[in-house]
Amino acid sequence: MGTGAKSAGQMTSRQRVMAALRREPVDRTPVCNPTSVATVELMDLADAPFPEACREPESMARLAATGYTELGFDTIMPVYTIIQESSALGCKIQWEQKDNWPTVKMREPIWEKPEDIKIPSNLLTHSDTKCVLDAIRILRKEFGDEVAIIGKTMGPWSLGYHCFGVEQFLLMSLDDPGKTKLCLEKLKEATVQFGLAQIEAGADALTLPDHATGDLVSAEYYERYLRDLHIEFVERIPAPLILHICGRTVDRMDYIAQTGMAAFHYDSKNEPAESMGVVRSRISLVGNINNPETLFSKGPEQVRKEVYKNLDAGVQLVGPECAIPLQTAIENLKEIPLAVRDWHREHATTN
Amino acid sequence: MAEITDISNDFIRQEIEEYIERPEERERNINLFARARPKMQEIAAALIDGDNDTVNRLTREALDSGIEALEVMDDGLIAGMGIVGIKFRQNFIFVPEVLACARAMKAGMAHIEPILSAAGIEPVGKVIMGTVKGDLHDIGKNLCIMMLRGSGFEVIDLGVDTAPDRFIEAVEEHDALLLGMSALLSTTMPNMGKTIEAFIDADLRDKVKIMVGGAPVTQEFADDMGADGYGKDALACVATAKKLLGVVAKTRA
Ligand code: B12
Ligand SMILES: [Zn+2]
Repeated sequence: MGTGAKSAGQMTSRQRVMAALRREPVDRTPVCNPTSVATVELMDLADAPFPEACREPESMARLAATGYTELGFDTIMPVYTIIQESSALGCKIQWEQKDNWPTVKMREPIWEKPEDIKIPSNLLTHSDTKCVLDAIRILRKEFGDEVAIIGKTMGPWSLGYHCFGVEQFLLMSLDDPGKTKLCLEKLKEATVQFGLAQIEAGADALTLPDHATGDLVSAEYYERYLRDLHIEFVERIPAPLILHICGRTVDRMDYIAQTGMAAFHYDSKNEPAESMGVVRSRISLVGNINNPETLFSKGPEQVRKEVYKNLDAGVQLVGPECAIPLQTAIENLKEIPLAVRDWHREHATTN
Repeated sequence: MAEITDISNDFIRQEIEEYIERPEERERNINLFARARPKMQEIAAALIDGDNDTVNRLTREALDSGIEALEVMDDGLIAGMGIVGIKFRQNFIFVPEVLACARAMKAGMAHIEPILSAAGIEPVGKVIMGTVKGDLHDIGKNLCIMMLRGSGFEVIDLGVDTAPDRFIEAVEEHDALLLGMSALLSTTMPNMGKTIEAFIDADLRDKVKIMVGGAPVTQEFADDMGADGYGKDALACVATAKKLLGVVAKTRA
């Protein structure tokens, strides 16, 4: 059994995560990465390198488990890419090697207009989506209910980037809002189907990335195109949802907090205290340790500082801001749960 | 010294009042538009509004009425794009809006380019741009390209996932003096350094200036990998390109 289980307090990792997603009391703040935890070092440890770990269920599950057994996080998350369902929708994929994430060849869009959108009947049996479902089953069987297993289903906005090309999709959003909404309406079925299938396979919660980030579009865009769709996801998908949007988002967190999602996975471009002030306990926050500058380039001390900053602000689940850079040192990642424990020890009297 | 009231076009006046906060940028834009003909201001306004049909029509009309292609480009299109770049940098507008402005720029340039090349007028400079190997993020790179083109540069876009060999080939094929590389991933940032080494190995490093950018790249990284320049955003990219090619400031810095 790994370090995650050994050092648990009164709650199991799973209980702790599920409680934090409901903003209920926890014995300590859970450590969670709702996006990829894969690194090259972990791939070596688990003998599960990319791209196999993105395409083969046993390998995918083995690598995911290291998040709990090696790093001591409270979650296991087996989906390292944002392209599993895009592959099933028909996008061309560049699978890359061990040292890089696979991606969609967005230069070769598969669709141009709403009428082109077809959710294929094999969406859930395509090898790249089925792989995720099988990996979740393997993990559920192996870990029972000791650790939270998080799945991932992409939102329609991000699927739009993949299937239409980012620039084409963004221009359409400006030229023809009606057409864009129609696209989102059709694409959302892929989000729901893949999400439901993962819950059935045993996922406790789902990450829902939908990249309407302040680095690309305005807050008003989020409200116009996505808020209501995200509310609909909460109604139709019976598991806690964790919205993921990296980049600047504090200007739209008020809208995000209105969706009823369980949590929002937020980026280090947003200050923890300011963000908590905006969402005001309507949604849990997960994050927001910086990836490129801190986890990848600095040492445990800086990691600890950012963990403390989140805990001081009352952030409900602590973890990296987005997919962890593949060359990140394990030492830095292990520091996150260590720092969380120390912070709680230091604050034990006030609890 | 011109005053904002010297600008005849209401829309341009409002844009400057509302969105341009830095004193030196305000002054530069006021001077520029105060001396531009009303027709040029109109073209700039349509471009800032992302209205490609109007830019298309007004550019044609301006050229047909005998206004020089260079003037239409500098005082209409490039001047308009300058305001767009500032609005984007300051988060007043976002990527979709910039894409629409770039589309409008393109509509205008379609009339101007043939005239300039027939007259043998050289672009401000030639730049090869690409996202490095293993990286498919290209939104930022594309915005840089738009602003470079919007400042009179000729840009050869190698797209994404560009191997060092392809950068080398392109520099040789186009006799370019400047290369720009973009990377958004910490996993692909080292490929910038590798590309620079490939230029050294090919004995071409002295022939080309190299600038780098992308969210995780910093001036420090740029220096470490031996790049000649770094730019934090699309406007900085244009400024760096001009500096590295020794372009004398024309309409804008
Ligand atoms: C949009 C986006 C995507 C889109 C990309 C679409 C596209 N065609 O580009 C999608 C959703 C497909 C995507 C995919 C992935 N992404 Co992404 N993505 C982003 C996001 C949200 C915004 C990037 C962006 O476009 N910004 C807007 C533009 C305008 O800014 P910019 O690129 O920085 O460019 C400006 C300047 O940097 C500069 N500049 C840029 N290039 C150059 C070049 C020169 C020469 C100069 C002078 C200047 C310059 O000027 C530009 C204009 O002002 C960022 C988060 C963030 N906030 O940065 C993550 C981010 C870049 N992605 C990240 C990750 C992890 C991924 C994935 C690996 C996810 C996954 N698990 O699969 C994949 C990788 C795919 C691959 N192999 O490339 C991480 C990278 C972490 C790291 N540093 O290693 C980021 C930082 C998120 C995070 N917080 O961790 N992503
Ligand atoms: Zn992200």
